[in-house]
Amino acid sequence: MLRLDRLVKSFGALQVTREVSLEVPQGVRHAIIGPNGAGKTTLFNLIAGELRPTSGRIEIGGREATGLSIDKRARLGLARSFQRNNLFLSQSVRNNLLLADMAAWGTGKRFWPLLSKERAAHERAEAIALQVGLADDLEQQVSELSYGAQRQLEVGLALIARPKVLLLDEPTSGMSPEETGRMLRLIDGLPRDLAVLLIEHDMDLVFSHADRITVLNYGQVLLEGSPQEVRGSDVVQEIYLGGVED
Amino acid sequence: MAQNSIFRQVLAFLVFLALIAYWTQADYFGFEIIAEIGVFAILAMSLDIIAGYAGLVSLGHAALFGTGAYLLAYFSVVLEWPVWLAMATSTALTGLIALIVGGVVTRVHGIFFIMITLAIGEMGYEFFFQNRTLGGDDGFAGIDRLDLGFIGVDLMDPASFALFVIVMAALIYLLLLRLLASPYGKVLAGLHDNPGRLRALGLPVRAYQTSAFALSGLIAGFAGTLTAQHTLFISPNLLHWTTSGEVLVMIILGGLGTLVGPVIGAATLVLLRHELSEYTQYWGFWMGLFLIAIVLGGRNGILGWLEWGWELASGKTRREALAQAKEADDAAS
Amino acid sequence: MLSDGGFWIVQILNSLQLAMLMLLLSVGLTVIFGLMNFVNLAHGSLYALGALSGYSLAKTLGGMWAAYLLAPLFVMAVGALLYVTLIDRLRRAGPMKQVLVTFGLIFVLMDAQRYFWGTDQLGVTEYPFSGSIEILGQTYPAYRIFIIALGLTVFGLLYFLLERTRLGAEVRASVDDAETASCLGVNVERTFFAVFLIGCALAGLAGAVAMPAFSAEAGMGVSILVPTLVVVVVGGLGSLTGALAGSLLIATTLTFGQVFFPEFAGILMYLLLVVVLLLRPAGLFPVRS
Repeated sequence: MLRLDRLVKSFGALQVTREVSLEVPQGVRHAIIGPNGAGKTTLFNLIAGELRPTSGRIEIGGREATGLSIDKRARLGLARSFQRNNLFLSQSVRNNLLLADMAAWGTGKRFWPLLSKERAAHERAEAIALQVGLADDLEQQVSELSYGAQRQLEVGLALIARPKVLLLDEPTSGMSPEETGRMLRLIDGLPRDLAVLLIEHDMDLVFSHADRITVLNYGQVLLEGSPQEVRGSDVVQEIYLGGVED
Repeated sequence: MAQNSIFRQVLAFLVFLALIAYWTQADYFGFEIIAEIGVFAILAMSLDIIAGYAGLVSLGHAALFGTGAYLLAYFSVVLEWPVWLAMATSTALTGLIALIVGGVVTRVHGIFFIMITLAIGEMGYEFFFQNRTLGGDDGFAGIDRLDLGFIGVDLMDPASFALFVIVMAALIYLLLLRLLASPYGKVLAGLHDNPGRLRALGLPVRAYQTSAFALSGLIAGFAGTLTAQHTLFISPNLLHWTTSGEVLVMIILGGLGTLVGPVIGAATLVLLRHELSEYTQYWGFWMGLFLIAIVLGGRNGILGWLEWGWELASGKTRREALAQAKEADDAAS
Repeated sequence: MLSDGGFWIVQILNSLQLAMLMLLLSVGLTVIFGLMNFVNLAHGSLYALGALSGYSLAKTLGGMWAAYLLAPLFVMAVGALLYVTLIDRLRRAGPMKQVLVTFGLIFVLMDAQRYFWGTDQLGVTEYPFSGSIEILGQTYPAYRIFIIALGLTVFGLLYFLLERTRLGAEVRASVDDAETASCLGVNVERTFFAVFLIGCALAGLAGAVAMPAFSAEAGMGVSILVPTLVVVVVGGLGSLTGALAGSLLIATTLTFGQVFFPEFAGILMYLLLVVVLLLRPAGLFPVRS
């Protein structure tokens, strides 16, 4: 579903992303871990189209996506949640979801509302709200939601497009244990055929939920493998987990 | 407060009602002022679509306004078309020009967008300033008004014309109200809030911005055809960036992104200008200070203050009602 | 005409002279723009203030040299007042609020100027270098040569200031990355204030210097504003070299445009701006790549 082929990004003399390759097939949960500054969010920005790669290829759903604009990639089936909440703060949860729905399904082109389409959109919004645990907060203004609830909406907006590939950028960052638990249940409940690529610092989450893990350091792929392989690797333990276990 | 809430719609009704009431009492000068308010209300609403909703602040909007006026002059006076045909063609053509310009200017953002609209606006000004066919900097006179004789209305009569313009403004308000409530309108509002997220969700942002620009140009052009008929004389000053600035002031003064705000702002500014210039040669000084105060004041213009006051008042009455209900409850148990 | 060397010399000198005036104005604006991300539409009004106060100073103190020295100081003082009351508050407010408030400021300053100086054009008959010199058979006003010389000198001084002094280093660092500069101990706030004041002084100087050649009136700030903005954007925000390049480019376009395509000279300038914004929105010599 998502394929990166030797992706490189340099800013002048500084190479931020060095020959990163990875593949996330349908249904796989793939995590990216690495110390701060390893270039994880840069990688997401490259995949999403916010940055142009210096070289390399990106494929989304089997289609060439390297030169495409941000919105074209989204229409190919790519969706993204942001590390820092990127919501429509002055509007209600419902309206946030409806806006996302219109953007994703192209229903914003109409100059007058069609009742049948409206109802369908509301149903989709309510379904997603239920999925992300915000069913009771639909009419709340987003700026008044708790941080955890906002993070949930963050993911909800990405889901409403029924994407093929989902990029989750540190979904549990800044959350309390209770909120983290809710987010984990959300991630568990994601459609099985969805390809998920997530950046996370929460190691428990990563080792319990990821099918495959890529370890990034200084923009380079250090290691890719199953959770056991990564856990057992000495090099990884050294640079990231803080020392080799005896 | 929600977009196009009941409060705003009632307020709009009251504003138009007030204008009609003023009209019934007006003398010649009053009619002139009313017509001017109507024209600028339409122009201000058109700018609000792109600045207040789609989030594109243009400092060249007056160029579309002036183009509509000059096109009307050209079609109706030079080509001697009937005025209704000239109006329709001028409006449509201005919309088309706005579509093309919109496609170009939406490639840049932020301050650069403001600058490029300024540049294009000034190009328009220079064009009509230099163009002798339409009078150049001497201006162009001899414009006729629409012929409504078939329904027994003579628009050359100042009272009739003033009423005509107000009715047009009200109709456009209602049209835009409908539009902004539509899916398209909701997307525009979202573009004002967070275009980046919409783009990441798959929205072709530039296409929506360009279409909003075109729509805005269409309505601005229409306002231009009305102003040409109002003053019966037009000059390149209609396209000058200071005119663009004044329209921007109107929507900020009234309330950005509220549709009724611009109408209030237009009325307020036109009235202020007329009132102040009676007392002082230096009304610009006071208008400038007023604008600075409104912008620094923190709320969304006049409408912002009205809504704040309303929420305060209705909040109080709601609390009182709740308190009364609680008392009744306690008494009953 | 075209083969007449004298003609070309005159036009080149005219371009240079206009370029120098635009340089004085645009330098202040570009550094403020690039450094503080602040759009000051009232910058032209400060230029007008320089011209008008220069006129008054010349009349009361008997001579333009008083004006050249004191008008910039006066405008700087007004600028300081504006900074403390308005500008500082607006710095983080975003382009729209800045555009609106400084737009309002244009009206305030213009009417204030009309109040104090009236609406007539004001000029002086006695000023230094008022004679003319002969170049290749053409007589050319010596004062305009003075303007060119002054402009180049000021540019040289600014370049020195920017590249060789501590303040200059702080300015460059803050333009590059204000956050890091602040972490490194640069007093970014004070740097901004100093830059703003210098920009105001330059605008005032430009006005005072231009006044003998072009006379002064309350509306002159409005007409000079847009070309100055064009210079700043075309040259590149925050860039001194850009201001020079932009000034030369725009002044040449306007001067030669007036001669060869008098009707389109203005449109040419705007067309240039549109093209630059579409192809190289960062300008010709951007500070940040």
